[in-house]
Amino acid sequence: MTTAEIFDRGYRRFDGDRSGTLGAVRSLAWHSMRGILGLGRKARHKIFPIVVIVLAFLWPIIFIGLAALFPIDIFADELRPEYWELARFPLVVMAIMLFSAMVVPEALVRDRRNGMLPLYLSTPLTRATYLLGKVLAVMSCLAIVTVGPALLLLLGVTFEGEGPDGPLNWAKVAGQIFLAGTGMAAVFAAVGLAVSSLTDRRAFASVAVVLVLFGSGAIVAGLVEGAEMSENLRVFNVVDMGIEVAPRIFGAAEGEGERGPEASLSDSTYLAGVFGWVGVSAAVLWARYRRIGAV
Amino acid sequence: MSVIETTALTMQFGAQRALDALDLDVPSGVTGLVGANGAGKTTLMSIALGLRPQTAGAIRVLGLDPMRDGAELRSLVGYGPERNLLPEDMPAFDFVKHLSEVRGMPRVEARSRASDALWLVGLGEERFRALGTMSTGQRQRVKLAQAIAADPSVVLLDEPTDGLDPVQRDEMLNLIRQISEEYSIDVMLSSHLLEEVERVCDHIVALDAGVLVAQGSLADLIGDEDGITVELVEIDDHPDSVSEVATRLERAGLEVRVDRVTLQVIGPDRDQLLDLTRDAIADVGARVRRIVTRRRTLEDLFTKVPQ
Repeated sequence: MTTAEIFDRGYRRFDGDRSGTLGAVRSLAWHSMRGILGLGRKARHKIFPIVVIVLAFLWPIIFIGLAALFPIDIFADELRPEYWELARFPLVVMAIMLFSAMVVPEALVRDRRNGMLPLYLSTPLTRATYLLGKVLAVMSCLAIVTVGPALLLLLGVTFEGEGPDGPLNWAKVAGQIFLAGTGMAAVFAAVGLAVSSLTDRRAFASVAVVLVLFGSGAIVAGLVEGAEMSENLRVFNVVDMGIEVAPRIFGAAEGEGERGPEASLSDSTYLAGVFGWVGVSAAVLWARYRRIGAV
Repeated sequence: MSVIETTALTMQFGAQRALDALDLDVPSGVTGLVGANGAGKTTLMSIALGLRPQTAGAIRVLGLDPMRDGAELRSLVGYGPERNLLPEDMPAFDFVKHLSEVRGMPRVEARSRASDALWLVGLGEERFRALGTMSTGQRQRVKLAQAIAADPSVVLLDEPTDGLDPVQRDEMLNLIRQISEEYSIDVMLSSHLLEEVERVCDHIVALDAGVLVAQGSLADLIGDEDGITVELVEIDDHPDSVSEVATRLERAGLEVRVDRVTLQVIGPDRDQLLDLTRDAIADVGARVRRIVTRRRTLEDLFTKVPQ
C-alpha cells in the first residue's frame, strides 16, 4: 500500500537580515542589466546587444588573431594600436553610440511604461537610489564596449608575450583601461539617461539621443571650422568629449597616435566640458524624477 | 501597537484638500479603507508608504515615520497598486522574485518565497507564464503575491478586487482573510464597495472627500443585529392591517418604522421581537410575506451621515 502525502509548505516567516538599500540597488542594477542585454528575455531582445558587442570587439579580435598567426614584429609594434586608440576606432565609436541610443533608453523608459516605477518606489528604493541602480546598470553595460575591447587587447598581447613589462606596469595599464572606460561610460550614460527621462516613448528617446550625439558634433563643426569661432567650443561636442577621456587618462601627448582636434583643448577646459555634460545631464534626470512616479 | 496612526493628517493639492485633518488609529487585522473614488484612499496609502510628504499633521506606520525611515519601513510593507499595468513579457515568477529581492530577501530565499507566494494565490501551475498573457483576475493575484512574498508585517492593497467577477472577488477576499488570519500579516485594503469591506474587514476607515466619516471595528460600527424586518401584504378588505400591526407593536414598547408594507421593528431582544410581531400579526389578521432579522449595513452608516 502506498501512502500519498500532500506536503503543504504553507507560508513561512523570514527571520534573517534584509539586505536594505544596498541590496535593493544591487538587485535593481542586476535586473536592469539583464533586461538591457536581453538576458532571460526572448531571442529578439538579445540580437541587438550581441551585434553591438561583436562590432566593438571585432578589431581587437582581428588584431590578436593576426598577431598570433603571423608572429612578426610588424604586428607587435607599428600596427598595434594604443589601448586608448581603440575607443576612437569607428566600429567602437559606433558601438558606443548605438548602445547609448538604442539600449540606454530601455533602462528607464520601460519602467515608466509598464508600471514598475511605482512598484519600485514602494520598496526600500527611493527616487535617488532607484536612479543610482539604473546608472550602475547602464554604465556596466556601456563598460562592455568601452573597457572590453582595450582589455581584450591587453590580455591578447600579454599572452603573446608583448604586454607591459612587469606586474606593476601591467596593473597600471589595466587600471588606466578601467578608468578610461568608466569615464567614457559615465559621459554616454549621463546623456543617454537624461534624454530618455524626457519622453515615455522608447523610439523617441533613441532618436533624441542620436540627435544630441550627432547634432552636438555637427553644430560644433559648423561653429569652429565653418564660422572659425573659438576652439574651446569643442567642449560642446559630446561624442568627442566622451571619447577623449581615454587619451587623457593615458596621458597621451598631443600628436601621438590618432587623435581628434579636441586634443588641443587644455586639461581644464576639457574637464569643464566633461563635467558640464555629466552635470547638466544629471540635473535634467533628477529634475524629471524628483516629481514623477508617486502612487 | 497600531499599524497606522495619524494625528491631524492633512494633504493639500493646490486648492484641493485631499485629506482633511485625519485622526486615525488602525489596529492589527484587516482594515477596510472605504470611500468613493477620489475620497483620498490612494493618497493616504502613498503618504503611509512615504512616497509623498503630508502637508500637515503626523503619521506613524509600524511606529516609523514614513518620510524619515522610508526605506526601512518599506522593506516591511507590501504594496499592491491599483493599476493593472505590469511588465508584459516578464514571467510572473521572475516578477515576484525580483520584487522580493528588492524588498531585501536574499536571492535563494526570494526564489522559494516567490514560488510559495504564487502557489498560495493559486497561480502555482501558471507561475512561468508571461504577465502579458494573464487575465485581470490572474494579474490581481500576481499583485497580491508580490505584496506578500517578502514577508511583510503589513500589506497595503489598493482596490484588490477591481475588475474581478463575483467568483474571483470571493476568492480574492478569502485569500486576504487567510493572509491575515493564518499568516498574521496585517492588511489595509481600499475599496469603494461597502459590501466587500463588510465581508472581510475587522476594522473600517471611511473617508468622504478627504474627511473621516467613521472609523472603528466593524461590530461597533454596524452592530451585530438590530431588529427584524417584517414585510406584509396589503389586504383589499382590510386596508388598515399594516398600520394596526405597527400600532400594536408600538404599544408593546417597540420602535417601529413603517415604509408602505414594510415594518422595521427595533428592540433589544430578538426572540421577544419575533414573538410580539407574530402575535400582533395574528391578532390583526394581517398577511405576511416574510419576516427576516435585520442587520445594519455600512450603507446605513453612510446614509446617516449628514451630507
